[in-house]
Amino acid sequence: MSRIIVITSGKGGVGKTTTTANIGSALARSGKSVAVIDADFGLRNLDLLLGLENRVVYTAIDVINGECRLEQALVKDKRQPRLVLLPAAQSRGKESITREQMKEIVTRLSAKFDYVIIDSPAGIEMGFQNAIAPASEALIVTTPEVAAVRDADRVIGLLEANSINNIKLIVNRVKPEMIKADEMMSVDDILEILAIPLIGIIPDNQKVILSSNRGEPLVLDEKLSTPGVTLKNIARRLNGEDVPFVDLMASQENFLNRLRRWFTEPSR
Amino acid sequence: MNQNGDTAQESPVSLQRNQQEVLLTFPPPPSEETIDDWGELWQNLKHRLNGSERFWESGAFVCIQARDRLFDSSKLSAIAQALAEVGLTLHCVETTRRQTAVAAATAGYSVRQPSPTTPLTRSSPTQQFKQQEPLYLKNTIRSGTEVRHEGTIILVGDVNPGGAVMAYGDIIIWGRLRGLAHAGLKGDRACRILSLQLQATQLRIADVVARTPSTHPAQLQPEIAYIAADGIRITQGLDFLKTYHFVSEKQFWQERSF
Repeated sequence: MSRIIVITSGKGGVGKTTTTANIGSALARSGKSVAVIDADFGLRNLDLLLGLENRVVYTAIDVINGECRLEQALVKDKRQPRLVLLPAAQSRGKESITREQMKEIVTRLSAKFDYVIIDSPAGIEMGFQNAIAPASEALIVTTPEVAAVRDADRVIGLLEANSINNIKLIVNRVKPEMIKADEMMSVDDILEILAIPLIGIIPDNQKVILSSNRGEPLVLDEKLSTPGVTLKNIARRLNGEDVPFVDLMASQENFLNRLRRWFTEPSR
Repeated sequence: MNQNGDTAQESPVSLQRNQQEVLLTFPPPPSEETIDDWGELWQNLKHRLNGSERFWESGAFVCIQARDRLFDSSKLSAIAQALAEVGLTLHCVETTRRQTAVAAATAGYSVRQPSPTTPLTRSSPTQQFKQQEPLYLKNTIRSGTEVRHEGTIILVGDVNPGGAVMAYGDIIIWGRLRGLAHAGLKGDRACRILSLQLQATQLRIADVVARTPSTHPAQLQPEIAYIAADGIRITQGLDFLKTYHFVSEKQFWQERSF
């Protein structure tokens, strides 16, 4: 039995698609077979982040319309043989697919893959409803901003109303130096409001943008960066491993301390 | 979702004891047939089922009061499944709408069809009662969720920013209040709002509205909000009834003079 996970957030631009691409790649690298589905019809991005744009021939809409078989629409990842992408149609709107059609596609995929990961569009309308319909688990992505947390809270309420009770939280774009200066909500502040289990904390880092533009997920780097490590850890936790959280505040502390020592104790 | 407290007159979905069965009452349908409020209704139903005190034995029979709402067979089976998840059995459907009655009968539920003129007195307070029994809830009121009740609300859990609690009577929250609370919705100025941590975005009692101060004390303690001579005041929860009393002539709470 495969696990069907939807990655959602409510607010746009918090890193759903980046997270999907990385977790999917990390799971595939760990030996699992993974299908990632872009449910953002009309605004597809997942193929870009995986660097697969030029390999997309058919989309989910073509499968629904019977213009191709499901297997034909699946794009095999160029690096990970166990990872496939089901792209969304770029030209069509979100109303071009129904909940039942979404469920049927996912059911067919779940027979062949260990994980089916659905990248949900922003908002709570039709596209979101379609994306969560087949899921049995959800990962909520939020950033330490009041608006993002408020939307995440709303989405958790909607997921619970749809009987998805296995919900875990990813806090993205954390800036330890801002938290330390009390200028940003801390992870604890967010958890106090949302009250769901935490599965990952990802620091803000320019490398994330760089990897998105290149279409090379961070988790596949030879030498993993801090965001790469934290993303890979989320995949390991999904696999049931007990991985301690990377202490971002501590690294901040150490770095500052090191700097301070450089300046204050030059004679040693 | 409405947060003004004026438009929707009744609580979204209510769950009550009624002799041998559990009564699940839906609000009247929107006046315009074209508006589909199923999504909102469904969220309210799930919220109420999951957060409600389990006052029923497993397998207890439920009667749905659907009024003149249109429920097709797929909606009825969705409701039946949601009820089954909390140990309730859908048994009968009471409706004034023919299509709903037909769908219910086809699905094998017993159907009651009160004549449309009979007022549904059970769901709303009658002449004799100003308020219904208190509503006891055990869950978090998240952003976008609104709980309304024609009586006092007791909530074990938090009210998150963006969530709202509206009651005809008092509001008692064993948790953090960070959203909106409106006590005395029908104008009872003696109503109070009690919370372990009172950090509401807005407080309303009867016809009075107040913002809470933007700076919060470092040490939060159980507090109580009430109507004083000059509007809504917040004070320490302990000893409130010993030091304050409600002056019904003036319609506000006043410190006792010893």
